[in-house]
Formats: sequence, structure tokens, C-alpha cells
Amino acid sequence: MTNIRVRSQESGVRRDELIRCEGVWKIYNEGRPHEVQALADVSLEIKKGSFTILNGPSGSGKTTLLALLGTMDRPSRGGIFMKGKDITGFSDTALSTLRRDSIGFVFQNFNLIPRLSAWENVSTPLIPAGVSEKGRRDRAMVLLEKLGLADRASHAPEELSGGEQQRVAIARALINNPEIIILDEPTSNIDAEATDILIDILKNLKSDSKTLLVSTHDQVLRPHADTVFELKRGRLAGITHD
Amino acid sequence: MKHLNILYAAAGNVVRHKLRSVVVILCLVAVLFPFLSAIAILEGVKTQSRISVSEGADIYVTMDMFGRNGVIPIEMAEVMKQIPGVTKAVPRAIGRIYIGGKLAVLLGITDDEKPSSLNFINGSLPKAGEIVIGRGLAEHLNLEVGEELNIGTRVVAFIENEPYIIKKMYHVSGIFDAQSGIWASNLVLMSIDDAVSVFEMEDFATDIGLYVRPGYEAAVSKGLQKMNPFFRIQTKGLVRTYIERGFNMKGGIFAALYVLAFALTIPAILVTSGFGLSGRRKEIGILKATGWQTHEVLEMVFFENIMLALISAPSALVLSFVWIKLFNAPFIAPLFIPGAGSIPPFPVPSRFMPLPFVFSFFFALLLTMTGSIYSTWRAAIVSPAEAMK
Repeated sequence: MTNIRVRSQESGVRRDELIRCEGVWKIYNEGRPHEVQALADVSLEIKKGSFTILNGPSGSGKTTLLALLGTMDRPSRGGIFMKGKDITGFSDTALSTLRRDSIGFVFQNFNLIPRLSAWENVSTPLIPAGVSEKGRRDRAMVLLEKLGLADRASHAPEELSGGEQQRVAIARALINNPEIIILDEPTSNIDAEATDILIDILKNLKSDSKTLLVSTHDQVLRPHADTVFELKRGRLAGITHD
Repeated sequence: MKHLNILYAAAGNVVRHKLRSVVVILCLVAVLFPFLSAIAILEGVKTQSRISVSEGADIYVTMDMFGRNGVIPIEMAEVMKQIPGVTKAVPRAIGRIYIGGKLAVLLGITDDEKPSSLNFINGSLPKAGEIVIGRGLAEHLNLEVGEELNIGTRVVAFIENEPYIIKKMYHVSGIFDAQSGIWASNLVLMSIDDAVSVFEMEDFATDIGLYVRPGYEAAVSKGLQKMNPFFRIQTKGLVRTYIERGFNMKGGIFAALYVLAFALTIPAILVTSGFGLSGRRKEIGILKATGWQTHEVLEMVFFENIMLALISAPSALVLSFVWIKLFNAPFIAPLFIPGAGSIPPFPVPSRFMPLPFVFSFFFALLLTMTGSIYSTWRAAIVSPAEAMK
């Protein structure tokens, strides 16, 4: 019975649909005195190879929605589908596998491991994949070179500028060649020059058919996006297609 | 390759988190060092006691006095010599006395019985009116060879035909040197006649030691029983059993106390291994966010713990070795050697065995695992978003 249902769900998936969320809610401290409703009944669809922006003011729920779509957190209610499969019921192991194989996440504060060098941070996801140290270093260096950081490879995060740290985080997100790249407020911690570099990187990723999902309240990325979802107080307030 | 990678990552973490690693290692060494030292001393004392027993007589005979050991006539030694298989019968007078407020063991022996440990004397063997004293006692009383010592005995002396009770002084003919056994530290050795007089048991000894030909122990015991059913007979095997039992009990009590201390240490390790826990939790969240599985994170922490245990156990062993061999086990030796004092005046015997070392490694591993695995698991099973907060 379950198999039939899954098959019918999958057969109902549009070919270009990659992520879909249906009636997603996220409530922190649910039922407790400090309950916070971060997302309310959000439904949206993200196409393969698209550049999607989640736009909205601070506190609108952009980061929360990104965390749910990037499998960093689970929704309180509603369903998130990836290639038609409902991932909300996935086990911890299955979600980790999904993150390892399909999703690259660039956090707003980059979340680099302080005591590791740039190339070590980039290659961290390859450790449990059984890639040798030389293999890890080579693959990390290829990415760092592409992102203009080859000469900073052995530097610790604290020795890098904000823009450089962001590029290290992007390299780490790309190391497993994922289908989806998620960036949380990528322009908030970098200067104008670094923003230009970022835009070039995003353009290149898009031309490589990567699906880009970016949260921002900055308008600088908007001209490059295919779809913009507007969020207000945790609810979807509008959709703009290019 | 995957496991090797995780192992290297764990090694990197141990090196990178220097402060945390050092704190955990210090805690573990503090727990393991007394354990290793105590077991080494216990084994050393046990070994020395076994040697003493094997050096001594094959059978000790005393009289039964209402179920206790009673004195035995010295002349019985000559009679016992006639039992087939007996090569030597040596009467001894042994007992405890207080000298200068310190408990000492007084041993009176004949010239026939000279244990090999008596070679370690600075001076000469005691003749009538002379004594050889242990190093600990000599230091306590501040005595040198050639000086005189009263051990609490008084004698009647006639001075100008008038009887006077005067203190009997013994001439110190020798002092056991640093190489002699621990039992010699508070020992007073004198001739059997002098000892008999000190204990006021004229013509009696506390026991008679019999040396027998190999294989004759049972037959001689039987002969003794036939000779006098009131003889209390203690064979070498029996003495050895008593000693083993005594040490095993001591070891058991120590182990029980140690387990208690161990149980109290676990919360301390829990606290110390939580050192930098928020940073650690965030790192685990980052690893999970980049695709690490929970079991891979746990495997890495397990390897880290193995490394910490592998560093701690040998460090504790080295410290224990230095503490005993170089500093003579202050504060630990008195727990196992009565009267040793906080700084023992004789070389504390020790024997480092492989098994306690292996145990200490597993102790260390158990402690670090208890302190870290649960918190790691907790951090790994929550969503990465929450762990990274």
C-alpha cells in the first residue's frame, strides 16, 4: 500500500521540481511559555537548476525556512518533499546521507571549525567518505583555487577576512558536488568587493546547473534570481518569477 | 580508509584541543597513579614476604595454649632433631616491644640461623649483650653503631655487695643497611639467650623452626603430632597461605576503596571532559551539517578517548615508577607497610606487573567514555541547527 502511494507521489512530481514544501510550520518551544511561531503554513516549490531567493526583513523566517529546506532542522508540521519524497519522516542517518550527497550549506556566520586550516575545513565532509588525505587536499585545493584562495589554504579561519571565510565555506559546501547549494544571508558579513566576487561565484554555479537557494534581505542579488519568495512574519507574502 | 581517516581526525582533535586534552590527561593520571603505585607496592611486599618465607624454616612448632600459640621448651629442639628427615631445629624468641615510643619486633636467634638478609648489616652480628637494629629504628632513636640502648629491661646488679636494680644496656653492634628487607626496618636482633631474658621466659622459646629434607614435611609433621598432640604445627605452605590471604584481603580492601574513589571521580571527569563543551557541541553540529553520520562522530570521539587513555596510562605508570623508585613512595607506602611512616626510611619494595597497567588503560578509557560519549551522542542526535546554536 505504501509502495503504491509513494509511486503515485513520485509519478505526480513534475520533472523540474526539486524541493516542495506543503503547509510547513515551525514553532519553537511549542506549548511552553516562550512559544515562538517562526513559520506558518508555508508552501512553495523550487525548480531544478533555478536560482531562488527567500527575501524578507529580519525575523521573517528566512533562516528557519532555509534550515528546514537544507535538512538542518525538522518542521513542526507540514511536509517537505525532495524529488517527490517526503523527507520529514527521514531518519537521522537518512538525513545525514542526504546532506552529504545532495546539499551544500553556507551558513550566515560561515561555521568554520576554528582550529582547522582553510583546506582542512573544506575537506571535512570527505573524511567519513574514506578519501585519503592527499585526495582530500587535492580536491580542496581545486575548489580553493577556483575561488581564488589557493594561497590562503593553510590559514586558520581567524587569519582570513570575512569574504575569504565565506569562500572557504562555499568551497566546503561544494566539495561533495551537491545538487543544491543553500546560502544564508551571504552578503550580510562581507564588503562590496567580496559581494561582487560572490555574485560571480553564484553565476558560475548556476551555469553549472546547480540549484541555488539564497536567503537575503539585500536587493543586490535579486537581478540574478529566477524566483523570489517574499516572507513576512513567517508567512509567504508573495512570489516573483523572472 | 574511512576508519583510518576518522582515527587521524581524532588524533588531530587531541592535539588541537590542547587545554581540554591536558586537563583530561591530568585527571586520569591523578586517578591512575595511586592505583598503579599501590598495586606495585603490594606486589613488592608480597614478593619480599614470599622470599622471607622460603628462606625461613620448613616447619614452625609452638605449643597450643588454649587455642593460641604458647611458648615451647628450648630443649625440645634437641628432641625434634631426632625425627627422621629433620636436618636442623632452631629455637627462636620473637615478640613485640616498644622502644622510645616506637613499636619494634625483637627477634632472638641462635648462631645456626642466619638468614641471607643478615648480610646487609653495617657492623657485626650480635653476640651476648649486643643488638643489631633496623635502619628505621636507628633513625628514630638517632643511634649509631657502638652506642648503647636500653630496650626497657632491668636487671639486678651487685655494687659493693649491695643489690641494685639497674637498666640493662645493650651495645649496638650493627644496623641493618638500606638494602635489607622492609621487615628489618623496625627489627631488633639479638642472641636467643638475651631475647629469652628480655621476654622473661627462661628455658623457653616462642617457636622452634625445623628444616627438613625435601619431601619429608608431611612425615615430620606426623612425627611431631605423635610426639606431642599439643604441638601447633605450621608448615611453610600454611604460612605462605596466611600471608597470601592477608595480602589479598589488604588488596581487596584497597580495591574496594579504590572503586569508591573511582565512582566519585566519574562526576569530576564528567565536569572536566565537558571543558569547552559548547565549542565541542558546535563542532559536532558542523560535522553533522556537512554530512557526518552520528556513528561516525561517536567513532571519532571513541578514538580520541583511546588516545587519551593511551597517553594517561603510561604517564601514570612512569609517575608511579618515579614516585616509588626515586622518591621511595612517600604517603603511599604507609598504607601497605605498617610503621613505614609517611617517608619510609628503607627502600620500599615494588613490582610493576603488566595486568594492573592493562587495567589502568581500561579504567582510563571507561572514565573518558563515561565523560564524553553521552554528551557527544546528545549533540549528535539533535538537529545540526540546534547543535550549532
